[in-house]
Amino acid sequence: MGSDAEQREGEACPFDAGGLGREATLLRATLENMAQGVAMYDANYRLVTWNRLFREYLDMPDEFFTSAHTFQDYIRYLGARGEFGDDIDIEQVLAKRVAQLDHPHRFERTRPDGTVLEVRRDPVPGGGFIAIYTDITERKLAEMKLREDEEQLRAIDAAAPVGLIIVDRASHTLLHVNGGVERLLGRPAAAFTGRPVEDVLDSPERGRELWDILSGPPSERREFVLLRPDGTPVWTMVAHGDLDFRGAPAIIATFVDITDRVKMEQDLRDAKEAAESASQVKSAFLANMSHELRTPLNAIIGYSEILSEDAADNGDTAMVADLDKIQAAGKHLLGLINDILDLSKIEAGRMDVYLEQVFLNRTVDEVRTIVSPMMEKNGNRLVIDCPLDLGSLRTDVTKLKQSLINLLSNAAKFTKDGQVSLTVTRQHSGEGPGSVRFEVRDTGIGMTEEQIGRLFQAFTQADSSTTRNFGGTGLGLTITKHFVAMLGGTILVTSVPGEGSTFLIELPAEAAVAAEPAKPLVDAGAPADAGAITVLVVDDDPAVHEVLAATLGKEGYVLRHARDGIDALDIMRRDPPDIVTLDVMMPKIDGWSVLGIMKSEPELAHIPVIMLTIVDDRNLGYALGASEYMTKPIDRQRLLGLIHKFTPGDGAGQVLVVDDDPDVRAMVRAAIEDGGLHAAEAGNGREALAWLNVHPAPSLVLLDLMMPVMDGFTFLSEARANPAHADLPIVVLTAKELTEAERSYLAQNTLLILNKSAQPIGTLGAALAAIAGRSKVATGRAG
Amino acid sequence: MATILLVEDNEMNRDMLSRRLLRNGFEVLLAVDGQQGVDLASARRPDIILMDMSLPVLDGWEATRRVKANPATAAIPVIALTAHAMEQDRAAALAAGCDDFDTKPVELPRLMGKIRALLGEAG
Repeated sequence: MGSDAEQREGEACPFDAGGLGREATLLRATLENMAQGVAMYDANYRLVTWNRLFREYLDMPDEFFTSAHTFQDYIRYLGARGEFGDDIDIEQVLAKRVAQLDHPHRFERTRPDGTVLEVRRDPVPGGGFIAIYTDITERKLAEMKLREDEEQLRAIDAAAPVGLIIVDRASHTLLHVNGGVERLLGRPAAAFTGRPVEDVLDSPERGRELWDILSGPPSERREFVLLRPDGTPVWTMVAHGDLDFRGAPAIIATFVDITDRVKMEQDLRDAKEAAESASQVKSAFLANMSHELRTPLNAIIGYSEILSEDAADNGDTAMVADLDKIQAAGKHLLGLINDILDLSKIEAGRMDVYLEQVFLNRTVDEVRTIVSPMMEKNGNRLVIDCPLDLGSLRTDVTKLKQSLINLLSNAAKFTKDGQVSLTVTRQHSGEGPGSVRFEVRDTGIGMTEEQIGRLFQAFTQADSSTTRNFGGTGLGLTITKHFVAMLGGTILVTSVPGEGSTFLIELPAEAAVAAEPAKPLVDAGAPADAGAITVLVVDDDPAVHEVLAATLGKEGYVLRHARDGIDALDIMRRDPPDIVTLDVMMPKIDGWSVLGIMKSEPELAHIPVIMLTIVDDRNLGYALGASEYMTKPIDRQRLLGLIHKFTPGDGAGQVLVVDDDPDVRAMVRAAIEDGGLHAAEAGNGREALAWLNVHPAPSLVLLDLMMPVMDGFTFLSEARANPAHADLPIVVLTAKELTEAERSYLAQNTLLILNKSAQPIGTLGAALAAIAGRSKVATGRAG
Repeated sequence: MATILLVEDNEMNRDMLSRRLLRNGFEVLLAVDGQQGVDLASARRPDIILMDMSLPVLDGWEATRRVKANPATAAIPVIALTAHAMEQDRAAALAAGCDDFDTKPVELPRLMGKIRALLGEAG
């Protein structure tokens, strides 16, 4: 306000000077309050009037307004002040500016302080002109900002390490394709934009597949393979969402390159398979090796024993001492081999548990007999506290004995002229069978905390010098720990260096099968009366007979054994078995010939033959009529599954797979058979009902919901309406999004609802075997 | 003195065990495969049979089954002998009708204990 007053009073503005009265005052006030700077020049380009903002914007010195000045003076002044830049010819500028004055014109001028002015000059009638100055700095800044933002967005879009597309929802046209897509596919964006998204892929099917993903629920992320022009696949993870683009509904989608991850996963899977097969080969090798090693060792031990007895008879004590050393060394070596074999079986998950009623006093007596000589050797006293009324527990007697012997022999080894005690007590805690505690305490060298920490690791004795001083593989405690875990028990150790150690094993009085996680579900699906089923094992390798006798004998199958083809055919003709396992490479006549002869004889042709061989020629096997083909080393779980498959019997262990997709059925069947069950298939609900009408009830029905002819819901209501199938265990395996009502209906009528995408089919076998409730405890038939 | 039928295909094992049994005063009959074992058992009626399990022609499990199936030999006690203490072997052997079970290499005092126990029971 002060400046206004100053101007009016001191600068003799011509409007005011004229003293034109009220109207002029009004005009003056309007001019002063305009949001623009205004200056008027007369016909001689003399500045005749101006307002406050003109002075403010142009920042002219006061004397400029107090004396008469022309437009030319004004330009020269600005020029001198450097407002048109340095090194300019001011007269040239002036001439150009003056030349413009006869017509309206406008331009923008950025002042040295950064403000931007828009200048308009309009000639007025009668000569002269009016100049209007508008401060457009803010507008300019906003425009610049917008431009920068756009450039940045464009740069982000072009440089983004993900592919991004925008697709018109109605026409499927690609409205925008970013630089990420160009880099993913090695083609310019122009190759895609403007075309329907279905058309830009390598085939119409894949185009539709992509559209299905893009038009599906936005929450879903899906993997999709894109192909480069040279055919290289690019695995991508597609995510998408809705977008209003240029006023129309559109889909925005990103493609993230996951090729490296996919390849890494594949590598991992390959490595895992290789490792698993290597582990299997290792186990087979160790089993064979240890057999090969044991045979000569038996001779060394046995003959040194005989010689020692002879020498003793002849009174040759020096010879006896030497021979006993040979014998002891042989027995030690044998112990090591057995330990290594046990550990490799544990690691391969092939150590079985045989539960039986074990009488504690008898077992402890047997253990005492074995460990007493070890105690005497180091001058130790063995104190056993095992009350006569301890009774029995249900466990695996061999593993219990071996564990106790391991602990006691360790105690004897690390104690000299001391005492080793075994104390057995029964623990009762509330209800249930309780547990039995075995405490082995010694007065030996003891261990430090650190030594205890390494105690149960394979091949690690408390100190590497221990092996040299005290012998042993260092496997005993590792094996013991595994055994105790398999029996559902715990092992604890406490020790004071120089004073002794205490090992405490606590076993449940009733070991449960769940206590042994490594145990495969081999028993699933065993027929109720397998005792009637005979399996003829034809193989020249005694080890195969042993393995099969152990595996199948345990299941109650009756085994016949033949070491060559001639023998096998003799046995078969005399008393046809229910199932035959057949090796290929055998002396006299080979397995192929046996198979051919069998299939040519009506009495033998129907017998299922499982080829069990190292020769991987399954096509020849199937061509000759083999039912199944397995390569060695024997996968006992799979073998059992196959044997069960060919076992005539009721529907126990059978799963009916109802699904219209043959690929899904095949995958599920494989998983089921892996789980030791066998599978039957139906393509829809009607086929499933028909199957149920002519077969014994299966252990489980695995039901898809969306199927042609008859869907899963209809099948369910029909099956449940039939009293024969009212209690049939049914598990739903579906990809369908279930409504609350459907879910609740299924919950009432089925055991379980599995989601196809959430449940890896590979894991189904074990899950179903568990559901089918066929996993029973493997018990020895020792009775 | 009691007669023992030793059915064992491994020559060294057969030789060692038979010599030690002879030394302990038994009469020993030898068979090298399961079929011979079954035949000798029925022809000579030994007092006890020591049966290896992995045998040619007829394995130990089957041979035992046949011995036990023949009324003339069913009463003869059979002790199964197998390599390493494989519990499944023991179960299978007992299931086949063996009366006891021992592991190779043979610990003679332990085996003698089992033989004497069975002979005592049988006698």
